[in-house]
Amino acid sequence: MGVLYLVALLVSITGMAVLDRRFALFFWRDGWRAFVTLVVGVVFFLVWDIVGIDLGIFFRGETSFMTGVQLAPELPLEEVFFLVLLCWLTMNLHSGTRLALEVLASRRDGARA
Amino acid sequence: MTYWAINAVFLGLVAVTAAAALLLQRVRTRGARASSSGRPRREVVRAAGLAAAVLLVMTAVFDNVMIGVGLVGYDEARISGAKIGIAPLEDFAYAVAALVLLPSVWTLLGGRRAPRDPSTELPRARREREAAAPTAGEAR
Repeated sequence: MGVLYLVALLVSITGMAVLDRRFALFFWRDGWRAFVTLVVGVVFFLVWDIVGIDLGIFFRGETSFMTGVQLAPELPLEEVFFLVLLCWLTMNLHSGTRLALEVLASRRDGARA
Repeated sequence: MTYWAINAVFLGLVAVTAAAALLLQRVRTRGARASSSGRPRREVVRAAGLAAAVLLVMTAVFDNVMIGVGLVGYDEARISGAKIGIAPLEDFAYAVAALVLLPSVWTLLGGRRAPRDPSTELPRARREREAAAPTAGEAR
């Protein structure tokens, strides 16, 4: 039970990688640039988390779905993976929606020609 | 300090990053020849809106699940009390920040290096080169 949330996150991150690879959205578009963007995002959100925890705004829930490993007080290991997922999903959506609209537009142009 | 107060600080940092990215983008497109940036602005805005809608809906769903199963708790005295389901409205600041910050960082990292994007820029550059010197292009 303790690994349930972590496994769910890893499965979701794998999904992001599969979509990324298939449509060249983020890492498969420019690996180094994607890596730096992801690290900046994850670090930024971790600092935000730590400030929030420090001020007592939010805290780790009492649940059996997490491993219990904490990187800092009230900061579960799972949070890093959650933030990786959030950032990767955001960038996949960012590229994916552009790609989708471009394909739709070129199909429309093709039909007109 | 309330949740909104910290969010204001971090969203401020995001706004500064976005302003820098927009500025750089403007300088770059002005430097390039008029139409070479390609995509019409309306398409870009529409795509960003679509991405935002999807991410915000997903945030609403997953944040409710995460709070529902007890992965995270909040000090009721420091949140506004405005909620989507059981998720504090403040949590959506993370999604908004991601939507603005990450594409901005991506843009800022574009730099002056020659575009190495294999899916779009390279073929276009190659096409232009071949158009300029067809025989040299075919020789390789």
